[in-house]
Amino acid sequence: MSAGERADTLPSTAPHRPRWVETLVLLARSPMAVASGLVLTAVVAAALLAGRISPHDPVEPSVDDRLQAPSGEHWFGTDELGRDVFSRVLAGAEVSLRVGAVAVGISLAAGVLIGLLAGYYRRWVDDVLMRVMDVVFAFPALLMAIAVLAILGRGSTNAMIAIGIVYTPIFARITRASVLSVREEVYVRAARSAGAGDVRIVARHVLPNVTAPIIVQTSVSLAFAILSEAALSFVGLGTQPPDPSWGRMLSEGRGFLEQAWWMAVFPGAAIFLTVLAFNVLGDVLRDVLDPRQRAAMKGTAKGSGG
Amino acid sequence: MTRTRRQRVRTRLAAVLSAAVLAGACSGGEDVDVGGDGGGGDGGGGDGGSTGGTLIAAISAQPDQFDPHKTQAYASFQVLENVYDTLVVPDAEGQFQPSLATGWETSEDGLTWTFTLREGVTFHDGSEFDSADVVYSYNRIIDQELANAFRFASVESVEAPDPRTVVINLTEPSPALLANIGGFKGMSIIPEGAADQFDLATEAVGTGPFTFESSGAGGVTLAAYDGYWGDAPTVDGVEFQYISEPTAALTALRSGDIHWTDNVPPQDVESLQDDDQVEVGVTPSVDYWYLAMNQAREPFDNRDFRRGVAYGIDREAVTEAAKFGAATVNQTAIPQDSFWYHEYAPFEHDPQRAQDLVAGAAASTPQPMGLMVTDEYPETVQAAQIIASNLAEVGIKVNIEQESFNTWLARQADGDFDAFMLGWLGNLDPFGFYHAQHVCEGSSNYQQYCNPKVDDLLTRAASETDREARKALYDQAAELIVDDVSYLYLYNPDVVQAWAPGLEGYEIRADKAINFESVRLPE
Repeated sequence: MSAGERADTLPSTAPHRPRWVETLVLLARSPMAVASGLVLTAVVAAALLAGRISPHDPVEPSVDDRLQAPSGEHWFGTDELGRDVFSRVLAGAEVSLRVGAVAVGISLAAGVLIGLLAGYYRRWVDDVLMRVMDVVFAFPALLMAIAVLAILGRGSTNAMIAIGIVYTPIFARITRASVLSVREEVYVRAARSAGAGDVRIVARHVLPNVTAPIIVQTSVSLAFAILSEAALSFVGLGTQPPDPSWGRMLSEGRGFLEQAWWMAVFPGAAIFLTVLAFNVLGDVLRDVLDPRQRAAMKGTAKGSGG
Repeated sequence: MTRTRRQRVRTRLAAVLSAAVLAGACSGGEDVDVGGDGGGGDGGGGDGGSTGGTLIAAISAQPDQFDPHKTQAYASFQVLENVYDTLVVPDAEGQFQPSLATGWETSEDGLTWTFTLREGVTFHDGSEFDSADVVYSYNRIIDQELANAFRFASVESVEAPDPRTVVINLTEPSPALLANIGGFKGMSIIPEGAADQFDLATEAVGTGPFTFESSGAGGVTLAAYDGYWGDAPTVDGVEFQYISEPTAALTALRSGDIHWTDNVPPQDVESLQDDDQVEVGVTPSVDYWYLAMNQAREPFDNRDFRRGVAYGIDREAVTEAAKFGAATVNQTAIPQDSFWYHEYAPFEHDPQRAQDLVAGAAASTPQPMGLMVTDEYPETVQAAQIIASNLAEVGIKVNIEQESFNTWLARQADGDFDAFMLGWLGNLDPFGFYHAQHVCEGSSNYQQYCNPKVDDLLTRAASETDREARKALYDQAAELIVDDVSYLYLYNPDVVQAWAPGLEGYEIRADKAINFESVRLPE
């Protein structure tokens, strides 16, 4: 096993690097990760600075300027109410990221907690929680989100909750699966026989050892959450007018494809790039965080570097 | 003094629920005076020889059902228009013409109307049409309190002294009676006992030019009726397809897959007019779109506040945004082409004045106002964004509440709104335009407007038989309604339809009645 041998030599080259720095270094060596990181940095910057760098008000209509083609004044053209599409795409980044982050935050918190409880306690706790998760998981994601919105009412806040609920089972399953193997590890049994309580064992010994798949899933879920928000807004259930949302802009632009392609193309491209970036990043993270792959990558790095 | 009523009524009645919509009227395209004798009978014959073929029409929505007395969906009436008949029908000018009735007389006191029925008319199931069918149809609507029962509010009884005569007795003179019984196919005549013999929601048994053949998820098929009392249709049949996506409908039209569609977004009108693969028809409709504020809530109960909103809205911009020029700005309900049109436009766009009025009445600054719209009618969403921007300048923070249409209707019925925007479609008579919406106890007075003067004017106008005097009453009522901002009227949209070049005999109508009786396919 040459990969293993090379891996064994690594500690001597970088003995004092913390694990997360090592992860970043590995990520930085992947062109895919760097590219998606750049895209995501741009999206985050757009979201944070939208209010300051927008050339025009993203919400204020100006009917006289409607449906103008892209130009120096309006980089991405104007929409059917005369609003600047570039400003709206920037402002839409904020909506997409906020909805994505909050929704995934909800899934993450709820899913991980459920997964830890189910995986650690087993027996009836496991049965009850995971069967409930199975029920939620059985619904097509978007259908479930639409049903939740039908109950809660429309709007971006409710969309976050709906998307959060829909993606909870994935986190619960992944967490539980990892917990099941970790809880049998020698160090966990050792902690238990040393008299550690459940809370301490879970917090100190189980959770830190199941984070890798959760981090990967978080990145991938962000992509899905942004896509879901766009889909919900597209059908009118998510972000409400006049607030810009990429999905809503796509929906509005659909009726103008023949007269104003820019209304749909730019928000569509924004969704595409952002979702792709999160997916690619998730993919690379999966490799980097997987102990075996990681070893191989480090080995390759050493080999090529030295 | 008996007279045959052939007045120049240019509007047509049919008040329909805003939404749900209605369609208007009907048939007949051309003059319906097909002598009183049994016309029809000989299939296809007619003149000019039928070129035959099946006309394919694309409509944007699927009919909810085919029972003419129960449905309120425009899509249903687009189909039923070609299958059923009413006693009288409006022509393209909105004047009522004979259909199943060949003539009618009104008693001196205006309380008794006597209709003479056409002979030789048969239903699609072969049974003969007579006065019992009329009595049955009308009593079905009245007794079961169906959607259109309110049109018979002043009707005391419907009688059939002999098979060719129907007498309608009224409790008070009702100049709008013809519009009420003939304004659209919701008042169709069905065979006696039809509700027990047929499943009218999925079948149709009328006297119209086409028979109802089959209905599926993709569309409806009609066939020319050999026994039709009028001139037989020139096409062999009509196939309605449901195409909800406008782009798809236009593509199908260009490629020749369909012959006709009304699924044309207003923004496409301009480019289509230069397109020689498509014929576009644009004509002013009798519909109107408006904004209403909940007068049971503060500060919307304050007349000054509502007037402030009326001054604050730029109607030109709203209309342009919503309809791309395919509409006419109007501050009253009734469109310019109607005899009942009254020129009255007291509000100009005046943000300063609006701000003063709003500031004096608002509970807070800025004053929040929920504006309920529905994606069923995307123009309400477009218009609402302009309205929100206009009103932001005058101290009102509009929160746009986009709802599904069912939720929208439920909230309207519960009075659970600050303000909403919608339209009323297909009205012909001023009674339909104003009455139920603005009398204190009106069944469509969701905004809870109540002005005793308006009540009095509208009530008197409803039974005034002199046409000029009646118009004067409605004009006065309209001014008060506009001044009080019971409804904040915005615009009358155009009807926009498109068909294949070479399609002959189709007439685009203000009431959006879709009639294919005399249509001839392109070579």
